[in-house]
Amino acid sequence: MRQPAFAAPRLLLSARALDGATRATRERLLEIQERFREPESLAVTLVKAVDAGAEGVLASPSPVLRAALAELGRAIPLCAVLPALRAQDYRMLEPGVEALLARARQGAGAAARFSMAWRGLVSRAAFRSGDFAARVPVLLEAEARLLPRRGVMGVVIAAPLTDAALAGRHRAFFDSVARFVRARFHAPAGFETRNPGMLLKRLREWGARPDFVVGPLNPRGLGMKPSAAETLAELGRSEVPLVATELRASGLCDLDEGARYAREHGAYGLAPDLSEMDEVVVELRRLGAVPTREP
Amino acid sequence: MIDTTASQTSPDSAAPSSARALRVAVVGLGRAGVAHCVMLANLEGCELIAVADPRRAARAGLRGMGFMAPAFPRIERLLEKARPDAVFVCAAQGERARVARAALEAGVPVLVERPMSRTLAEAEELVRLAAGRAVPLAVGHPLIFDPVFARVREVVRAGTLGPVRQARSAMFVSRVFAPHPRRGPGRLDPRHVAGGVVAHLASDLLFLLVHLLGAPAEVRATWNLLYGAVEDELHGMMTLADGTEVGFDSSWSVPGYARASTVLELEGRDGKLLASDEAFELDLRRAAGGYPEGATRRRDTEFDSPARFDFGGEALWLHDAAFLRWVAGGPAPPNEGSAAVKAHRAMDALYRSAAAGGRAVELA
Repeated sequence: MRQPAFAAPRLLLSARALDGATRATRERLLEIQERFREPESLAVTLVKAVDAGAEGVLASPSPVLRAALAELGRAIPLCAVLPALRAQDYRMLEPGVEALLARARQGAGAAARFSMAWRGLVSRAAFRSGDFAARVPVLLEAEARLLPRRGVMGVVIAAPLTDAALAGRHRAFFDSVARFVRARFHAPAGFETRNPGMLLKRLREWGARPDFVVGPLNPRGLGMKPSAAETLAELGRSEVPLVATELRASGLCDLDEGARYAREHGAYGLAPDLSEMDEVVVELRRLGAVPTREP
Repeated sequence: MIDTTASQTSPDSAAPSSARALRVAVVGLGRAGVAHCVMLANLEGCELIAVADPRRAARAGLRGMGFMAPAFPRIERLLEKARPDAVFVCAAQGERARVARAALEAGVPVLVERPMSRTLAEAEELVRLAAGRAVPLAVGHPLIFDPVFARVREVVRAGTLGPVRQARSAMFVSRVFAPHPRRGPGRLDPRHVAGGVVAHLASDLLFLLVHLLGAPAEVRATWNLLYGAVEDELHGMMTLADGTEVGFDSSWSVPGYARASTVLELEGRDGKLLASDEAFELDLRRAAGGYPEGATRRRDTEFDSPARFDFGGEALWLHDAAFLRWVAGGPAPPNEGSAAVKAHRAMDALYRSAAAGGRAVELA
C-alpha cells in the first residue's frame, strides 16, 4: 500500500452516539447522552481515553463536545465529523448542501461569514449553487469556527453527505473536498459512510485517494453494504485505509471479537463508540494491544 | 394479494428483473425524492433517466450531488421528452394527485409518496384511474418492508397468534417543537396538506395495521394541535368488523425520539407479539408457525439485511425494488394503490372523528 499523504488514525474513541449517529438502541443512545450531558463527565472520559491509548476522538464539534474540550487545560486531538449536525437535524432540512450552508450562515459570526464569502469567491463556488464539490468546502469553512484552535487531527465528512455524493457518483466531490481539508486544516481528510464496500470500490475505480474512510466492519456483517462479502473483498483491494466502526454489530458480539475481526480483515484503524463500551479505559487499552495491519 | 416481501431475502430476488434496464423518473426533489434518487442509483436493473421539480434550486441541488439525469420543471415535459417506464411521485402533497394522474393517463406506472393525495376523493380517483388503465400504482409505505415488520406480517398471515383480539400501536418522532419548521411554500398549511403527523408520518403505521388486521369498521380519535393548524398528536381507537380494538397513537412532538420509532403489540388467542424498529418478541402458549412455545426474541440486527445501499435504513431500498419488480412484470407489492387507499380511508375517518371531538365515525 502506498503511504498516504497524511496518516490515518489507528485508534479513536468515537463519540458519535452523542450525535445520534450510531446504530444502537434508542434506550442505549439516551443512556449515553444522559451520562455525558454534563461537559465535565465527558471531559474526564476524553482525557482517560487518550491516556489509555486512543489517538483522539471521532465526533462532531457539538455544543456538549466543545464545552467538554473547553473544560480541559490540554488539547484533546479531535477527528471532527462535519457538518456538526445531529441525525435528526438532517431530517428537518431540505436535502443538498445549500440548506446546510444557510443554516451555517445563521449561526456564524461576522468573521465566519466573511470567510465563507471569501472562500466562495476565490474558488468560484459562489457561482456553483448546489454543487457539492464547490460548496461543501464553503460549508467546512463555516464549520471551522466550531473547531478547537489546537488539536484537529482530522476532518471527516459526515455520512449523509458522503453517501449522497457516492450515490450520485460525484468523483470530483471526493477529490476536491480531500484537497481542501488537507490544505485548510493541515490534517487528513476522511469520509464517513454507511456503505463502506461501495465507497471503497468507487474510490478505487476513480483513482480517488482520500486519507481514510470511516465505516462499519464487524463479524456479523452488519452495515457492511453492499454486502459483507463484497466489503471484505474490497478491503483487500483498496489502497484507502478504513477506520472501522460498529465493531460490536450493535451488541451482537463483544468488542474484543469485533476488533480482532476488523484488524484481521484489513481495517487500518478502529473507532469503538461510547455506546459500545462500559469501561472505556479498560477496553481501549485492550484494543490498543490488538495487532494492527501494516501498510 | 401477492406476497412480495416474503421473497425478498436476497439481493438477487429483490432487484427488478427485465430484459433491459427500467427507465425511471422522480418528480419532486424534496427529502423523499432525493432519497428515492439515491436508491434508484443503487438498484440494479433500473436507470434514473429524468427528474422534475418546479424549483430551480432543487434541480440544481440534485445535480450538485452528482445526479446528471435531465431535469425538468414540470412532469408533462418530462413525460413527453424522457418517456420513462415508471415515475416516483414525491411532489408536495397538494400536487401529488395531479402529477400522479398525469403519469397514469400517459400509461406510466406510478409510485406516489404517502399520502397519495391531499383528499380521499383524489386518492380514490387515482386508484380507479390506475385500475381502469391497468397501470401499476403503488404508494410509499416502506415500514412494511422493514425486516422486523415483514416478519410480523408473516406471523400474522400464518395464523401463529390465532385470531388477534387486541392491538396497540404507536409511532413517535421528535421533529416539530416550534412553528418554525412549518414555514415554506405551503408546508403544513391545511389548504395544501392532508394533515399533520398522521398524514406525513404515521400513515405508514396505519397502512401496516390495515394490511395486517383489515380495515376498521368504526374509528374514534382525538388530536392535539400544539403549534399550528394541523395535528401534532393523534390518539385513535379503531374497531374492526369482528369487534377487535386497535389502538393507534402518533406524535411528532415528543422528546427523545431522534429516529422515528414504531411499536406494535398484538394479542391473539395463542400468544402475544411485540415488535418495534429494534426488536421482535413473540410469546406463544403453544408451538406454532415454526416458533417454540414460550418466548422468542430477536433484535432487528439479527434479521437479514439484503438492501445493497443504506441511506437511512433497509426498508426504502426493498420498497423501491419491490415496486420496480412489479413494473418489470413481477408480483404486485403489498403497498399497491388499491390496498393503500384503505389506509387513506381510515386516516380520513380518524381526522373526521378528531375534528368532531372524538365522535365515532363509521366506515362504509
